[in-house]
Amino acid sequence: MENVLSILFSLSLFYVSVTSRVKGYVAVLRFQGLILSVLVLLPFLKNFSIFGIILPITLLLVKVILIPSYINKIILDLDIKRVIEPTIQQIVFLLLVIATMIVIFISSSVIAQSTELNVIPFASGFSAIAIGIYIIIFRKKLIVHVCGFLVLENGIFLFGTAVASELPMMIELGVLLDVFVVVFLMGIALNKIRSTFEGFEVTDLGRLKD
Amino acid sequence: MLGFSVLILLPLLTALFCYLIKNLRVQYSISVFVGFLHLTLTFIVFLGLYHIQLPTFFSFDSLSKLFLLILSNVYFWVVLVSNTYLKRHVTSKAQEGKKYYFLLLNFYLASNSAAMLSDHFGMYWVTVEMTTLSVAPLIYYYRNEEALEAMWKYLFVVSVGIAFAFIGILFLTLSANGTSLQGKQLFFWEFIRSAKELNPIWLKASFIFIFVGLSTKIGIAPMHSGDIDATSNAPSPIAALMSGSLRLTALIGVMRIFEIIIPTSSYEFARTILIIGGLLSLFTAFVFMFKVNNYKRMLAYSSVEHLGLITLGIATGGIAFVGAMYHAIYNAITKIVLFLSAGNIHSKFKTREVEKVKNVMNILPKTGWLFLLAFLAISGIPPFGIFFSEIKIFEGIFFLDNPLLLAFVMIFLLFIFINMGKIFFMMLYKKEENETTTTQFEGFDIIHLVSILLLIILVAIAVSSPDVIYQNILNVAKDFGITLK
Repeated sequence: MENVLSILFSLSLFYVSVTSRVKGYVAVLRFQGLILSVLVLLPFLKNFSIFGIILPITLLLVKVILIPSYINKIILDLDIKRVIEPTIQQIVFLLLVIATMIVIFISSSVIAQSTELNVIPFASGFSAIAIGIYIIIFRKKLIVHVCGFLVLENGIFLFGTAVASELPMMIELGVLLDVFVVVFLMGIALNKIRSTFEGFEVTDLGRLKD
Repeated sequence: MLGFSVLILLPLLTALFCYLIKNLRVQYSISVFVGFLHLTLTFIVFLGLYHIQLPTFFSFDSLSKLFLLILSNVYFWVVLVSNTYLKRHVTSKAQEGKKYYFLLLNFYLASNSAAMLSDHFGMYWVTVEMTTLSVAPLIYYYRNEEALEAMWKYLFVVSVGIAFAFIGILFLTLSANGTSLQGKQLFFWEFIRSAKELNPIWLKASFIFIFVGLSTKIGIAPMHSGDIDATSNAPSPIAALMSGSLRLTALIGVMRIFEIIIPTSSYEFARTILIIGGLLSLFTAFVFMFKVNNYKRMLAYSSVEHLGLITLGIATGGIAFVGAMYHAIYNAITKIVLFLSAGNIHSKFKTREVEKVKNVMNILPKTGWLFLLAFLAISGIPPFGIFFSEIKIFEGIFFLDNPLLLAFVMIFLLFIFINMGKIFFMMLYKKEENETTTTQFEGFDIIHLVSILLLIILVAIAVSSPDVIYQNILNVAKDFGITLK
């Protein structure tokens, strides 16, 4: 089951690398959040505990509802153009993504021979980390950078479940809260950037240089 | 419980209080009081007069005692001068920033204390991310374009960096696979105790990710860019806070993972990485000092230089490690004086460009003298402390039997000194052609008083070299497997 979900997660990464709409990114974030919530819900189904449900519910609330809606709201409020404006061609980007994922999947299965881990969630998580960074590097719009950062965070989360050790729930919740506040602050900053620079692109930020 | 309440809960509650009470004077008074309590308790704990119990995920050791004292000290002086600073004229847009100033400052104190006291990697990560969140809005205090850009870059670069550190923490869990630590919690002390069992490959990967990730916050080259922008555009008290304490909060994480690595076979590897990082930071400061034309940026690069030197000292070990710990204390104190004086100059001249600031010695005589003294202190001129700590670091590198490394460090420091000196003397003494040389009157305020006190403390610590600090640093060194006679 975990493997199926991880594969779905990886497929969403392909979608994110071909779509040219900002909305597409938000939809992917919602989808990934949902997968992660189901993933943490699975062990809870096997042995029921009242505390076990807190994390999946918070995850669902933060990653599926709050953050995507907040990003949608920013897009609407700021009237951002709905295309992402890449710096390289989409097809090149897709090829890059595929090449990276092949390398990551193969090296993960090599690693798994010596270390005990779930190959598919591990590799999917790592791919998401890499692709999150690609998104930040190869896209111009700042709001898309925020989405890239969130893809990266989702990747880390999936990766964390693959590594099989459990962090205490208090800390998992702390991590979620931190990510949410970071996105919230970035949203406020974007609002100000819009009113100060009249733009949302990374090229608008060039004042601070030596 | 008393310790935990005063060190972490009280600042949090004060932050809440500052949200509810809008009066700046009241906010200021209570923040100073909380800062004072924090400093007092930290000092008592540091002296070993009182032993406090902390809840799970938090504990005291020699390293956190030392760094907490540095943080508490920097914070107290910064909050003390904040009121004078807030009274200065700013644009009407920036008025809004004052409302949240003390709230964020208290939040900063709480999250930094929590980060320094945490003994669990997960908790450390959460609290370090919180320190970023507390300081990012403070960078945007002036509400202008540069500040906005600096805040965005800092928030983004550091968040991504800290996400990398999280990957490093997950690698650390992987390294525990198949050992007695498997399935256990990520407590520092448990990992240090069973360090030899850990899988070396994952441990190395973990070290690289944590070091590179936290470098964005420490300001180690080549990840220093966000930090430089933030430090140079934040208001001066915040810049002092960042240079003096926030960088150490991130450094403590790197030191924890280094402490785990020391008894293992990966030690040489980690040490080489730290030396490269330190040397690269010195090199970056060396290069940029040639062309920097903004005096706050210059001070930010100076922070990169000194944190690089501290990293180098930690990596070298032996007497250099002791030097590095002293250096952290002295650098923090000196940076407060430097940034506060720079703030005075900024508020008089309304610019951060070096060329437009002239004749400070006559226009702002008191600030000018303090700025000059702080420059001498940061450049390692005796009797100021940095001279002694740098000598210790050099001595350690010298005994490393690597004369080339020492030569590079010396050359970088020499040129940084020359270039910084050039900028300082241009600002302080250069005059317009037909400018009068009469010294103008400058009122004496709390910023001058604090600067003088701090310079006195700096010299006093260096000259008297209190045994309690030395013993504590020796204890830290012992934790890192370093024994000195």
